[in-house]
Amino acid sequence: MLEIKPIFHALCRSKVGAILLLIQIAITTAIVSNAAFIIQDRISYLSQETGYPEQDIFVFNVMMFGKDVSPSQQYELDEAMLRQIPGVVDAAYSSNTPLSGSGSSSDFSLKPAPEESKSARTSYMFIDEHGINTYGVKLIAGRNYTEDEVIVTDNYDELSKVTVVTKTLLDELFPDGNGLGQTVYFGDIPMKIIGVIDLMKGPWLKDSRPDNVALLPFIKPGTNARFVVRTEPGQRQSVMNRVEEAMLKNYNKRVISRIRGLDDDKESYMAEDTLMMRMLIVLITILVLVTALGIFGLTLFNISKRTKQIGTRRALGARKSAIISYFLVENAMICVVGLVIGVIAAVYLGQLLMQHFSIAQLDISYVLATALAVFVMSLLAVLAPAKRAANISPSIATRTI
Amino acid sequence: MFLHYLDLSWRSFKRTPLVSFLMVLAIAIGIGVTMTSLSVYHMMSADPIPEKSSDLYSVQLQTMDEGRTWWTVDNMPLQLTYQDAVNLNQAKAGGKRVTMVRTGFSVYLDSDKVKPFIGQARLTTPDFFDMFNLSFIYGGVWSAQQEADAAPVVVINKELNDKLFAGENPVGKMVYLDDASYEVIGVIDDWDITTKYYDLNNGAFNKTEQLFLPFSLMKARQLENWGNTNGWKHEKTNTFNDKLNSEMVWLQFWVELKTPAEKQAYQDFLMAYMQEQQKLGRFNREKLTATLRDVNEWMKYNNVVSEDNEILVGLSFMFLAVCLANILGLLLAKFLRRAPEVGVRRALGASKRQIFFQHIVEVAMLGFLGGIFGIILAQVGLLGVRQSYSYYQSLATMDLSMLLSAPVIAISTCVIAGLYPAWLVCKTNPAIYLKSQ
Amino acid sequence: MLTMNNISKVYQTDMVQTHALRDFNLQVEEGEFIAVTGPSGSGKTTFLNIAGMLEPFSEGQYMLDGIDVGKLNDNQRADLRNQKIGFIFQGFNLIPDLNLYENIEVPLRYRGIKAAERKRRIEQCLEQVGLASRAKHLPQQLSGGQQQRVAIARALAGEPRFLLADEPTGNLDSLMARQVMELLEQINRDGATIIMVTHDPELARRAPRNIQVVDGQLADFTLYQGTQNLKAAGV
Repeated sequence: MLEIKPIFHALCRSKVGAILLLIQIAITTAIVSNAAFIIQDRISYLSQETGYPEQDIFVFNVMMFGKDVSPSQQYELDEAMLRQIPGVVDAAYSSNTPLSGSGSSSDFSLKPAPEESKSARTSYMFIDEHGINTYGVKLIAGRNYTEDEVIVTDNYDELSKVTVVTKTLLDELFPDGNGLGQTVYFGDIPMKIIGVIDLMKGPWLKDSRPDNVALLPFIKPGTNARFVVRTEPGQRQSVMNRVEEAMLKNYNKRVISRIRGLDDDKESYMAEDTLMMRMLIVLITILVLVTALGIFGLTLFNISKRTKQIGTRRALGARKSAIISYFLVENAMICVVGLVIGVIAAVYLGQLLMQHFSIAQLDISYVLATALAVFVMSLLAVLAPAKRAANISPSIATRTI
Repeated sequence: MFLHYLDLSWRSFKRTPLVSFLMVLAIAIGIGVTMTSLSVYHMMSADPIPEKSSDLYSVQLQTMDEGRTWWTVDNMPLQLTYQDAVNLNQAKAGGKRVTMVRTGFSVYLDSDKVKPFIGQARLTTPDFFDMFNLSFIYGGVWSAQQEADAAPVVVINKELNDKLFAGENPVGKMVYLDDASYEVIGVIDDWDITTKYYDLNNGAFNKTEQLFLPFSLMKARQLENWGNTNGWKHEKTNTFNDKLNSEMVWLQFWVELKTPAEKQAYQDFLMAYMQEQQKLGRFNREKLTATLRDVNEWMKYNNVVSEDNEILVGLSFMFLAVCLANILGLLLAKFLRRAPEVGVRRALGASKRQIFFQHIVEVAMLGFLGGIFGIILAQVGLLGVRQSYSYYQSLATMDLSMLLSAPVIAISTCVIAGLYPAWLVCKTNPAIYLKSQ
Repeated sequence: MLTMNNISKVYQTDMVQTHALRDFNLQVEEGEFIAVTGPSGSGKTTFLNIAGMLEPFSEGQYMLDGIDVGKLNDNQRADLRNQKIGFIFQGFNLIPDLNLYENIEVPLRYRGIKAAERKRRIEQCLEQVGLASRAKHLPQQLSGGQQQRVAIARALAGEPRFLLADEPTGNLDSLMARQVMELLEQINRDGATIIMVTHDPELARRAPRNIQVVDGQLADFTLYQGTQNLKAAGV
């Protein structure tokens, strides 16, 4: 038996407590819906597949200050040396590395510049024929380039003529699916697509095309270089410990620095987004707790204010369950109004966020799920005080102050 | 009277310890969360050089063809071409100016004491130190002649001096940068700015450089740019000279303009310069644009405060509103329960204003306590931020203004929350409460 | 109708036992009007609470209309209270956020009576106590005497077997007190059984039967003309 009408009238006559609760429920719903949505969005952004076994690969920087050797020749020697280290699967000079925040990109187009044609933003990486194996990426069509297709030089006289690209890039430039074997242009330099990689991330996750990557077999190293090494599973740390000494032994007029795993590099790159996500989670957790405590406290207070009334009701024949349901219904009514306002506020807040920040459109299911969760939470918060109220003895009614 | 109210407030706290504790807790949590995000926001957006931030201007030129876009809100490229930077540097317009790029070297001494390491460097014209208010602890900057001659000299920072020369006066000593030796001519003092406003290209909160060398060395020794290089059109840039002559943008340029008149004059000069360049065949476009942005405008334009931070601050204040509603409820409970006592006071002659004031003082005291505990919670929160993301090491801290803001925000919040309950309790008719039932 | 045999109520607090009622025996017939008097602290209120099933008792037997109250659980007691007893409290105990109509409705809702029947009863009872025109008013808008009349209407609406009145005129001035008393007498003449606790000897005198509770025990008096018997009883 739900005493909806009298409860409603009673609420209307002493509105303040109800309004306070309303406001808290509405704001909480608005914040939690949007925060949960942003968190979910971040999680899916941060957990994108990289395409390579990041826990088995590490990278380090080399800065050569000695001028008595040619960089490209030295790096060939280094590569050979690295590949011999026990535990190493493969190693290669790589002009930049995925998800590091630092790299090169350009538009790859169907016709040579300056002709206008369809083009796609592409991150490119200079790496030799060991690149695919070093990164452990999957070649799904075509072939890798051969050793003689790789150009290692100190000038721009001869340029590479082939490239291996990711499937995403291929599909963007050739949506009909016949990209393999076609020629694309890097500026006015033609390159034939000879191979396709399943998935590989470029240097920037926060990019309009993070999955468009092209590997180019053109090595013209400067004094600054990066080396990428893939090891057997579990061997990475021990190889990382040896690599600086080994490189300096090969040639010591250089500085080896920033020896780091690709997974650690990715973590640093994503650290700010991860922080935001964590702070949002903390925020909504505390928010829900504070609101729950608020409901709990306010209900306790309401009950203590109405002790005489509760005793009287019991004297007049209310069962304990009737007292509990009274408070549950009262709270549910306030909650429903608060939720309606909260849902509207959530949608409005979502619109604001979308307009002023680069946040996607709020998915309504988050709002509804939050509303439901808040409703359940508020009922649970009321339950304990309501049970306490039910235990108020009917003999209170005959007590004088 | 105020002290008396404080005394009353303290006793009232002690009488209902649980409710008082809950209220202080609610405010402390609200303040803790808000101050955590607000402090980071504050440090990110703080003026890094308040004494002259409105005198230093970053110059941008619209050098692209008509119809090209950049990722900035006004499509202006963020840096200058080599030609433009050099031309503006040599021009007779504007006050002090600096043109610069970021680079790096392997650093080592002749001895084996220090293992070669990577040093972050900046190639800049000599006005840099004066413009950005750096002070020297040893030696000084290179002369105009040394700049013209691309002299192999270097100014190092205190940290590097400690590492290489044990903190002693290194002026005159030699240091190897890559394959050449350079003479140390000065040491600058610690330069602790949280935002690297003068070059935001590779991260707004990176550390400042350790080595400073004459800008002319770049061309003289073909030194590499470690910052961003961006091109908007297809150009052959195989040689170093190709790059210097191209339309690629990769240099930063700042000019000091102390008065609005100076600024206007410089703006006119820039426009005249662009028109002149256009006649030489550059800038295939109708409208010519050149912009000047001072330090704070430049930081805002570059989105130094990320969207995430702004969202977090906004949500934190909404959260504070929830805490406010919570406290309001508890205050209502507490004050109305005390209405009989108020009735007695009023019967004894207290005016409505005095009752109101007494309760506001109590509420303010609550806010003060909550603010203090809120600072503690915020420090815990900021510690968590620093550990989670070491890049925010100097950002996730509370400076003096934040430490003072915390109790101010707390007290204001509580007073706002307390206005209605205090008003309610002082306006009720004392007679009602002097009767029973 | 109502029989209490050897009822005793013991309050246990830490190490102290308080006997509020001991060996209490009482028999009430249909249609009686009983005034219960006694010094403060004597156990009158405890007796009232037990009679009204507001509290459980420690020992003894309580039969109400043939039902053994001691064997009932909390829910059954609540239901029985609702059906058999009408309460009138010293402090009126009207619910401030409900208007008069809704206040009287409270016990009727607990019984599950349908809306139409509730309306009929409420209107009838309000008429009976002379407050039909003020059905939508809130208790705060009424005088003390009027509030008590509403409380009486609430008690009557459930058509109870007997009314339990706890100092019904305690908070009223003498004029209103007399009005309420007259109302109660009228109701009694109409057939209701009334047990009224009071400390006012004037009021007690108006009830045909008097009971005194002293030190938790019952001393029964039937009122005769004159005061000699009261004196002899040590009142």
